[in-house]
Amino acid sequence: MNELRLGPILIRNRFLISIYNFVENRLGIKEILDLEVFYKLAPSYLGIFSCFGGITFFMFTLQVVTGILLLVYYIPTTAQAYDSVVHITNNVPFGWLIRGIHHWGANIMIITVFIHMGKIYFHGIYKNPRELNWVTGIVLLTCTLSFSFTGYLLPWTQLSYWATVVGTEIPSAMPVIGDYIKIFLRGGADVSQITLTRFFAVHIMVLPAAVIMFIVLHIIMIRRQGISGPL
Amino acid sequence: MSDEIIKEEVSGKDRRSFLNLSIFISFAVAIGGVLYPIAKYLLPTDSTKGTEGGETFFISTDDVPVGSAKLVRYKNRPTIVVRLKENEVYALSAVCTHLGCIVKWHEDAKELLCPCHAARFDLYGNVLGGPAPKPLPTYKAAVEEDRILIREA
Repeated sequence: MNELRLGPILIRNRFLISIYNFVENRLGIKEILDLEVFYKLAPSYLGIFSCFGGITFFMFTLQVVTGILLLVYYIPTTAQAYDSVVHITNNVPFGWLIRGIHHWGANIMIITVFIHMGKIYFHGIYKNPRELNWVTGIVLLTCTLSFSFTGYLLPWTQLSYWATVVGTEIPSAMPVIGDYIKIFLRGGADVSQITLTRFFAVHIMVLPAAVIMFIVLHIIMIRRQGISGPL
Repeated sequence: MSDEIIKEEVSGKDRRSFLNLSIFISFAVAIGGVLYPIAKYLLPTDSTKGTEGGETFFISTDDVPVGSAKLVRYKNRPTIVVRLKENEVYALSAVCTHLGCIVKWHEDAKELLCPCHAARFDLYGNVLGGPAPKPLPTYKAAVEEDRILIREA
C-alpha cells in the first residue's frame, strides 16, 4: 500500500503509513478516523471574532504546560512560597520566562474569554438550539475566574494575601450562611497556611480537571451542532 | 519537455522537495526553541539549588579582622559574619526582618543596626529595639585554623 486515504486526507509518507498499519492491524481505528466529524471545514464567513474560543483553548494549554513547569520548583508553604517564586524568577534558568508566560497568559486568557463570550452574546448564538453549550461556557468562565483568584494567592505576597482576605470576606456579607462560606473558603477564621494549601489544591487539581471535562463537552457540542450561521 | 520535468521530480531536486525541506527546518527550529528553555529549566545546576541544602561555606580569617564584620553570600542570601574575638565568630542573615534592608555591624555598641529604620539586633539575632518584628535568622559559625566555617544552625 503506497497511499492511505483518511476522509479527505491523502497520506503518501511510507513511515506514517507503516505506523498507521501497525495500529490498524491491532485496534481497527479506520472506522473512528473516517468519521466525518474530524474533517469538517470551517465555514468561509467566519471572521476574527470567531477565533477567540480557539485562542482561549490555546491559552489554556499554555497555562497547563507552564503551570506544570512552575510546579517543579514551587513550594506551597507560607514560609517558602514567596522565596520559591523569587528563586524561580531569579535563579532558575528561563524561570523568568516560564513564570512570565504563566502570569501574562493568565491575564490574556481572561481577555480572550470575555471577547469570546461577547461575540456569542451579541450575535445571539446562545439561543436555541445552543443553550446547553452556553451553560457549559458559563461553567468554564466561572472556572477561569476561580483559577485567577486561587492562583493570585500562591506567590504569598502582601498583595495576594490581602486580595484573598478581601475576596473571602465578600461572601460573609450574606445573611445566615455568609460566615460559614467564608470559613469554608479559608479553612479557618483567618487566611493562613490552610488557605494556601486548599487554594493550591483547587488551582492545580480541581479546576484543571473540571475545565478539561467541560472543554471536551463544549467542543463535542460545537461539532455536533455545527458553527452557527452568519448574522 | 514533459519527460524532463518528470526526471527532475524523480531526482528529488525540484522546488517541492526544497520547500518541504524548508518547512521541516522551520518546524525543527521552532520546536527546538521551545524545548531548549524547558530542558535548561529542568536540568539541575548550582543556581537551581537555591536556598536548600546543608552545604558548609567558608571564608578566610584574613578577610575578617578581629572586631570587624564582613558581608558574604551564604545560600544565595546576604549574610553578615562578625568576628568578636580571635576565635569567637557569629553568622546571621543580614536581611532586616522589618523591611529587608541590609544590617550593619556597629563595633562600639557591639550590635547590628539597620540603617533604614534603626532596628537593633544582638549577635544572637535578638531584637534589641526598633521596628523589627522578628529576630534575625542565625547560622553556626566557627574558626577552624585559618578559615571561618558557616553552616546551618
